[in-house]
Amino acid sequence: MELQVTLQKRFNNFHLGVEFEVQGERIGVFGPSGCGKSTLVGLIAGLSKPDRGKVILDGETLYDGTKNLNIRPEHRRVGMVFQRPSLFPHLSVKGNLTYGLKRCSPANRKISFDDVVEVLQIKHLMDRGVKYLSGGEKQRVAIGRAVLGNPRLLLLDEPLSALDDSLKFNIVPFLKDVCRTFTIPYLFISHSLLEMQIMTDQVLNLSDGRVLEKTTAEALVRARMGESMAGYMNLLRLTSPQPVDGIYAYNWGNQQLLIASGDSQPEGLFELLSTDIILFKSHPEAISARNLLQCRVIRTFEARHRIGVDLDCGGDGHLVAEVSKQAVEELGIRERSEVYAAVKATAFRKLV
Amino acid sequence: MKKSVLVSFFAIMLICLFTIPALAAGINVSAAASLREVVNELTGNYTKQNPGVVFQNNFGASGALAKQIENGAPADIFLSANMEWMDYLKTKNLIDEKNVSTFAFNVLVFVGKPETKLAKLQDVVKLEKIAIGSPKSVPAGEYAMEALKKAGLDTQLENKLVMAKDVRECLMYADRGEVDGAFVYKTDALQLAQNVKILFTVPQELYSRVTYPMAITREGSKKSDAAAFMKYLQSDGAQKVLLKYGFSVK
Amino acid sequence: MLGFTPADYSAILLSVKVATTATLLSLPFAFAVAYVMTYRRFRGMVALDVAVNLPLTLPPVVIGYLLLILLGREGLIGRHVLQPLGIQLIFTWKAAVIATAVVGFPLMVRPMRTAMEAIDERLIHVSRLLGAGWFDTIITVILPVSVRGIIAGSVLMFARGLGEFGATVIVAGNIPGVTQTIPLAIYEYASSPRGDVMALSLCAISIAISVVVLVFHEWLARRMVRRD
Repeated sequence: MELQVTLQKRFNNFHLGVEFEVQGERIGVFGPSGCGKSTLVGLIAGLSKPDRGKVILDGETLYDGTKNLNIRPEHRRVGMVFQRPSLFPHLSVKGNLTYGLKRCSPANRKISFDDVVEVLQIKHLMDRGVKYLSGGEKQRVAIGRAVLGNPRLLLLDEPLSALDDSLKFNIVPFLKDVCRTFTIPYLFISHSLLEMQIMTDQVLNLSDGRVLEKTTAEALVRARMGESMAGYMNLLRLTSPQPVDGIYAYNWGNQQLLIASGDSQPEGLFELLSTDIILFKSHPEAISARNLLQCRVIRTFEARHRIGVDLDCGGDGHLVAEVSKQAVEELGIRERSEVYAAVKATAFRKLV
Repeated sequence: MKKSVLVSFFAIMLICLFTIPALAAGINVSAAASLREVVNELTGNYTKQNPGVVFQNNFGASGALAKQIENGAPADIFLSANMEWMDYLKTKNLIDEKNVSTFAFNVLVFVGKPETKLAKLQDVVKLEKIAIGSPKSVPAGEYAMEALKKAGLDTQLENKLVMAKDVRECLMYADRGEVDGAFVYKTDALQLAQNVKILFTVPQELYSRVTYPMAITREGSKKSDAAAFMKYLQSDGAQKVLLKYGFSVK
Repeated sequence: MLGFTPADYSAILLSVKVATTATLLSLPFAFAVAYVMTYRRFRGMVALDVAVNLPLTLPPVVIGYLLLILLGREGLIGRHVLQPLGIQLIFTWKAAVIATAVVGFPLMVRPMRTAMEAIDERLIHVSRLLGAGWFDTIITVILPVSVRGIIAGSVLMFARGLGEFGATVIVAGNIPGVTQTIPLAIYEYASSPRGDVMALSLCAISIAISVVVLVFHEWLARRMVRRD
């Protein structure tokens, strides 16, 4: 997917002026509330009209102010999922799902109804009305509805923001699976760094109506590390839990991690904050933390007044720890240094 | 602020509720619609000769007027366009029986646009719409209906009759061209017709003679001025005025 | 039954016929007006709003008289459109329908507008992005979702139509069998000293019809709510 955007829009006291070019399948648009994310996405979708500019998607010009060209939203083949599901109240689940499918020309119908239903696990809801569905069910139907319209670009405008945490990370796999299975590129809008990390590769960092930079989720997260109390959030996908001493041990890389919030589910996504990792120059003989990992420093990087330490923990395991500048000097932490990382079993937070 | 708003609100309410319109002093006359001009002139004359006597004149279909009087509307003198409504009020004991006499007579005619080719009553079935006073309360309509029934034409005119609330409304419909013709009194046509003219006179043998009885009501019998005015209405002076407007007096 | 004359039965049937026709005729126009006022911004919106709501505040006789001037023999439309085409509206049941439709129009538009304004804008956006053009969206989303407002507006106009007198008597006249609806028949009876019994009987019929209409409205509104 290739998207070229140059847009100006002014209304009330707000001025949006952006210019960027992105290529890829999983693009993020990141910024605080009110920075123009939703406005931008609305303009790309054709729901509102820019003052001037150009929007080119996969080589097709959707909008060109100079040529008075403005393709209507129903012809842009751009799908959208909002914060609230906005399902059609007068149609059943099936009616909602097939709405876009029916209006898609047969030539463009590449996505199978049954496959989407399968991936989103909504087969049992088919003939029901939408009023009494749960929040998660509604959002899954909304995703299915947008996908079945066979869009060439999916705009996800804060689709997880209205959901509570456990539901959020419940929906994430559905979203990822659908977009991966049916190869639909998307633009994921959010003000949450964590969501950026999980859902996107490249990120457009927006502020006050301007694109500050085109970066990656990873770089953004690292840069933010120094500003946030939480520091860097390590996201660990762990498998094969074994019960040990009342808690669970998961496989990670070529090591095992003991996690207090673990459970018997075969796979889980866990979060570990960089500030929760303590580094030792040499092996501490006795320590209360249940996890002691032998790591090699890949590199260090600066983030405000803190230093981030990229650690290679063997196998495929990567962690980012965070220490003060003095600590780096005292411990002599530099590239290729060997350190021990200690993490309490209770420090991990289970996301999904 | 709120208190003064509330006070003003109630003050206005009280003013509206308790403002009593100036009580009609003097004599209340209820008369058939076709008598409007002649009665107004007569009461005007009487006031000129007897300053201090004020009149309130109320005109309408005689049946409607009778109902008003029955329901308590103020009326001292009642002039009806047929006997029926006078008799009706007699049965209700609202008329001073000793004081009923005949005021005038009239003739029923049919008016329409000058170019209409109509010569006699039977020709009206050719028309699309005819205005007639509602026979339920308008004497002109009752007379017309009587004539049509006697001539055997009433069933043929079903769905063609436009009901008017009094004889003047009939004339208005015809004058404005909203109907093709109307049954009105000769005096109405002579007085007020602008765009229509009398096409024919309804043959008298088909309907009872148009008679205007007049009477003092029970209420009016308490007023000496009412009796005096009644006397005036029977005088030569009054009859001259009637003849001027085209009514008959014998 | 109740001593009704053929003219009285005509009046009852005519009332229902006029009110129904006026309602059905007005539906597409009222819907279009409600749509335009809800979803399109343009200059003169205020003027349209005032024009649509004017019959609410004007005395019906005024409306009747204005219609008479407009559609009569000498009127603007009468002279240049109706006469040449040989169409006679004044003093026909069609005039009664027009009078009822005009008087009841704002009553029909208002609930439709309220229902449309309550529709989440995102629903419209979604339908557009799923490939529906503006007309498609109207038919498949706006109409079904605002159907309760449409029903409410229809019922209001129908009920108002059953009781229409002022405009009707002026522009359609009181012609038994042709334009004499229930209110006109009652008026005629009420003017007559002996007509009270008949007037009350027709009143009872009027009330009965209104009750039936209101019950039907409730039932229809309940059916429209999608049950799970």
